[in-house]
Amino acid sequence: MRRLLNSLRDGIGFDTLLVILALSYLMVFAGLPLIYNIVISFQTVDVFSLGTLVHPSAGVENYESIFADRQAATVLWNTVIFTLGSVALQFTLGFALALFFHQNFTGATWIRGLFLAAWVMPGLVVGVLWNWLLSGDFGVINYVLESLGLIDEPVFWRSNPETSLYSVLIANVWYGTPFNMILLAVGLSSIPEDLYEAAELDGANAFQRFWTITLPMMRATIGAVLALGVIFTLQQFDLFAAITQGGPAGSSTVAQYWSWELSFREFDFGRGAVISVLMIVLVLFVSLFYVRSTKAETQL
Amino acid sequence: MTPQIELVDVQKHYGSFHALKDINLTVPKGQFVALVGPSGCGKSTLLRSIAGLERISGGTLRIEAQVVNDLPPRKRDLAMVFQSYALYPHMSVRDNLTYALRLNGVSKAERAKAAEEVAGVIGLEDLLDRKPRELSGGQRQRVAMGRAIIREPKAFLFDEPLSNLDAALRVRMRKEVRALHDRIGATSVYVTHDQIEAMTMADHVVVLRAGVIEQQGAPMELYDRPANRFVAGFIGSPAMNFVPGALTGAGTVRLELPGSPEIGVEMGGEAGRAVTVGLRPEHLIVGREEGAKIPVTIGAVEQTGSSCYLFTEGDPEVLVTTEGTSAIRAGDAVSLHVAPGHVHLFDPKTGLTLRG
Ligand SMILES: Nc1ncnc2c1ncn2[C@@H]1O[C@H](COP(=O)(O)OP(=O)(O)OP(=O)(O)O)[C@@H](O)[C@H]1O
Ligand SMILES: [Mg+2]
Repeated sequence: MRRLLNSLRDGIGFDTLLVILALSYLMVFAGLPLIYNIVISFQTVDVFSLGTLVHPSAGVENYESIFADRQAATVLWNTVIFTLGSVALQFTLGFALALFFHQNFTGATWIRGLFLAAWVMPGLVVGVLWNWLLSGDFGVINYVLESLGLIDEPVFWRSNPETSLYSVLIANVWYGTPFNMILLAVGLSSIPEDLYEAAELDGANAFQRFWTITLPMMRATIGAVLALGVIFTLQQFDLFAAITQGGPAGSSTVAQYWSWELSFREFDFGRGAVISVLMIVLVLFVSLFYVRSTKAETQL
Repeated sequence: MTPQIELVDVQKHYGSFHALKDINLTVPKGQFVALVGPSGCGKSTLLRSIAGLERISGGTLRIEAQVVNDLPPRKRDLAMVFQSYALYPHMSVRDNLTYALRLNGVSKAERAKAAEEVAGVIGLEDLLDRKPRELSGGQRQRVAMGRAIIREPKAFLFDEPLSNLDAALRVRMRKEVRALHDRIGATSVYVTHDQIEAMTMADHVVVLRAGVIEQQGAPMELYDRPANRFVAGFIGSPAMNFVPGALTGAGTVRLELPGSPEIGVEMGGEAGRAVTVGLRPEHLIVGREEGAKIPVTIGAVEQTGSSCYLFTEGDPEVLVTTEGTSAIRAGDAVSLHVAPGHVHLFDPKTGLTLRG
């Protein structure tokens, strides 16, 4: 007891205590569910056996049946398109906006702040918003496209299997671009101005300065932004729930949504867990990339 | 011969702030020009205006007789050494040195050769593959110099390049920079707040204050014939003493010091006219017999070994320097002498030098 009091007074050992607290928190609320998830991916679990602690083993049956499922190929393909498309567009738009606002014209800070409004909205709200925008009968998007003469009759974006995935993708790009912009803007502003001045005197034009100074100096930031983009996109659930519910006919189902459907619609918890486990492995690799790029930070 | 750099009535405004006023400066080819002045006087602004990093608000700027007012920095063909060095952190020393050549499309083999050559000149042969963060301050400074000399620019611009180095290295680099300038026959404009650097390195010194050129000329000209009290006080170390006084009309000036001593001057002028008398510490000689005397009491003595600083008692305090060591102690009464040719007189109101 006295040692504890002493440690509080001197701060010696207090740091250890804090670390132990943080670790136990992580263990209980992140570690255990993760392990449990892996365990049930090898078991047969339904609504009736969900409450019990021990379930019948299923071996690798769940894994086999997931890969054999005729939806698997579509879901995999959708996930790849959704993730790569979202990340590529969010990053490109975010970078362009960050560069634009880096010019520091009057009002730049204000307008940049407005962009953040999109980012702080709950995903479901963003989903509802895009439902209105994309609506076939009275959506703004159709109206604009028709006025421009690009389409002759309304497109039913969300209920057409050809476009359903892309309606969610567009909403997700809109949702994630401000986040990319902010992180990239921070990276941009950490590049000392005198490097650009030196490069300019060395004869570099704007394009050469971007290519030889900005990009290499931003390597760490870009790696981090891309990795976080992949992770957040793989987590995106609200927009699917609000806009297409994975439909029509599974045409916009991605892995995370399928996992939810299997677990909470079909109550096949084992197969739902299989998808989570596979996604965890993927995210783990992306996180490694993320950690590596934050470590390789360019410094003077 | 056309001047390498020429500024005619150059103005620079930052909003309502007038940072440079009527700057006229001519830099002939091969000359080493120093810009000096106190902090905030506009030295960097002037240098950056020449480089094109700042747009001038008025006047004409010519480089090799071509008006460059609207030319972007990359087309001016000047090299600049920044106070912060501004090395590219993500490039090796070799790539830093050859960056300009690479932009110019010089072949890889030629770039490598140029890098070796320059590294030899600045003494960095062994460090070519290091990153800037793996170098000491002095080595970074050399890389910054090397990056400037690897191409043959029309002029070199330096913005306090030595101010981040320790005192000993600074003295050495002073000579090296000047030697380099002479060897490659460069034209240089060098900004510093250190008047000793300016005096020792430059052919031509420009003294700036609050955006105005107070005086420009050869270093010894500024020392011997300062145009005004500001230049007189700024050039020379330790700084000139200023004592109020009045002309007697008989070739002397009476100092407002205890005992109202009179000393000879090289000008007549109306009797009773108030003046500020400037006396350099090194021109005051202690206790010699000929000439007029200034009786003073020594208040404090500082010995550095090579020279001795004597501070007089009373107001204004007068500083006297003597060479070597001195037997004089605080409290001693001594008399000071000064040759009439070493007495500077200034108008107390305008600060301008009075000449007879
Ligand atoms: N971008 C700017 N906007 C407004 N005022 C500026 C700007 N840059 C410089 N100034 C002002 O111009 C004046 C001259 O600045 P400058 O940097 O040229 O001084 P300096 O002589 O180089 O001083 P130092 O020895 O401290 O480097 C200063 O009063 C400064 O506040
Ligand atoms: Mg400066």
